[in-house]
Amino acid sequence: MHNKRKIQDNLLKSLTIGAALMTASALFIVFYFVFTSGFSLLSFDLLVSDYKTEQYNTTLDDTIETTMFEEPEGNEAFFSQIYGISLKDAENKDAEAIIVIDYIAPESPFNTLKSINENETVNASEGGVITRISFENTSTALTREGAESMINKLDGGHTIREIIFVEPGGGIRGSIIATLYLIGLTLVMALPLGIFSAIYLNEFAKDTRLTRTIRSFIDTLTGIPSIVYGLMAVSVFIPLTARFNMASGLSIYAGAMTMTVILLPVLIRTTEESLASVPNDYREASLALGANDVQTTFKVVLPNAIAGLLTATFLSIGRIIGESAALIFVMGTAVRDSVYPSQGATTLAVHIWTLMSTEPANVELASTIALIILTIVLILNTTVKLLAKKFDKLGNR
Amino acid sequence: MDTAFKIENLKVAYGETVALKNINLELYPKSITALIGPSGCGKSTFLRTLNRMNDLISICSISGEVYYHENNIYDKQCDVIELRKQVGMVFQKPNPFPMSIFDNVAYGPKRQGVKDKETLKQIVEKALKQSALYEEVSDRMDASALSLSGGQQQRLCIARALAMEPEVILMDEPTSALDPIATQKIETLLDDLKKEYTIIIVTHSMHQAARISDYTAFFYMGELIETSDTNTLFSLPKKKQTEDYITGRFG
Repeated sequence: MHNKRKIQDNLLKSLTIGAALMTASALFIVFYFVFTSGFSLLSFDLLVSDYKTEQYNTTLDDTIETTMFEEPEGNEAFFSQIYGISLKDAENKDAEAIIVIDYIAPESPFNTLKSINENETVNASEGGVITRISFENTSTALTREGAESMINKLDGGHTIREIIFVEPGGGIRGSIIATLYLIGLTLVMALPLGIFSAIYLNEFAKDTRLTRTIRSFIDTLTGIPSIVYGLMAVSVFIPLTARFNMASGLSIYAGAMTMTVILLPVLIRTTEESLASVPNDYREASLALGANDVQTTFKVVLPNAIAGLLTATFLSIGRIIGESAALIFVMGTAVRDSVYPSQGATTLAVHIWTLMSTEPANVELASTIALIILTIVLILNTTVKLLAKKFDKLGNR
Repeated sequence: MDTAFKIENLKVAYGETVALKNINLELYPKSITALIGPSGCGKSTFLRTLNRMNDLISICSISGEVYYHENNIYDKQCDVIELRKQVGMVFQKPNPFPMSIFDNVAYGPKRQGVKDKETLKQIVEKALKQSALYEEVSDRMDASALSLSGGQQQRLCIARALAMEPEVILMDEPTSALDPIATQKIETLLDDLKKEYTIIIVTHSMHQAARISDYTAFFYMGELIETSDTNTLFSLPKKKQTEDYITGRFG
């Protein structure tokens, strides 16, 4: 009998350990996958460059005098002494051979190329791709001949007629800006609404049937999947923004309104909790000193709930960064490089959706964005933990 | 004799539970009245009816009359804010706000619209001197009130109440969370304060009531059993329950 009991106990115990281990390994697998497939693409360039590939047909600005350039130390690519540029062979994401600019001397004429069609200056920057250089003597240097041949032809002394320079795309600058716009606009609407509603419900509202109903509505709203909010937003916010001439269809404005509605229930709940955790002693002390309820709320209760409010704000930012389903409906899936709040755009999360729904799916870039999102969420959560600690110190005086 | 409070047929109930009934009592100005009785006898509830702090409890219902000077404070016309300005309160647990010492004392006057820094400074200094705390904190008025010891915090709370220049100070077991030395300091302070203020104090300790109060009221099971001047009540109690309580047979 005793033995049977022991086996039962151990079985239950190992079940709990097993479950905990499985959860931990699931988290580890996610991190491992995202890290291994996304880390190689992660670079500062990615964050600041455009998504769309731009091709420029350019020529040299012949007002600039050419001198001889020194080869930089440790250069492993092929270097042109006349033009001060080094090129190397590389492969693009689709495994095609390309010639990439490895280094440009500061004085190089390649720094100020002139566009042939439009009258503008194009800076060939490091990491840019040169697909073809044509010379006045009708010879050309092509990608398939390789970087060494292109350098030899450059140093051959012929006048250049045309350089086709490609700024490779795949950057996420637009999506980052769109995400920042969305965060800013949403917080501007959601924070005052959420915080003031919570203050009303927790501090001023009497416990009546109406307030109980409002509370249960808020609780129900928390559980509704965001795609349902997205549907609602398409039929409410998009016409609304059009009516007030803010946008003519998909827009970040509509996205921010949608996010506001999604965030409000959680925001109100978290704020209420942080208000409720302010000791009642403070309220009593303030009221006993002849302060009215408004003064008590804004001078005593709110300042002591500020850490909780910050926590709610950071959690909201995390939620905005992570939302995708609802935003696909109201902000669209077209990745943009120039972002305006009155137009559609993709946030980082929706950018992943776009990348994965094209043929072929760009898993690598999607993973890189996922890695960035994970990092941001991790930072936000750590901040929340630190704030909570500070909050505790105040609470347990 | 002139009265500060005159209570007639007071009944207080929390929902179905009756906390106080048939209370008739007069409280006299510029003296200390102690409210004694075992836990749950309604003495704290009674104290909180005097500045309408029971308003905060939604299920609390009150009938009867409580006259502060000539005015029934449970009249509809009564201004609660005005009442609480004149009837200050000090709580059981020291509850200074988590702000600086200065801001704690200046809190009340500021809420009444006192903005001038010099005036505020004078009010704060006066209140701190009255509560015998000034010497200890004069060099660190900007320090957090939470950095003070428990006894200092309680005297700060008294100073905070005094800054409103009230007539009456209600005290709900103000020394129960303090050590004997801090308790003694507060008792000495109360003896000084009664020259200018009407003090009504709830206390668990009969010895404290006997030491500091001029009048004592004994509450038991929601009723006022006996009230008289402190010497008489402790030496010649009229009722059996009072005698049992003060001789330590129960409670």
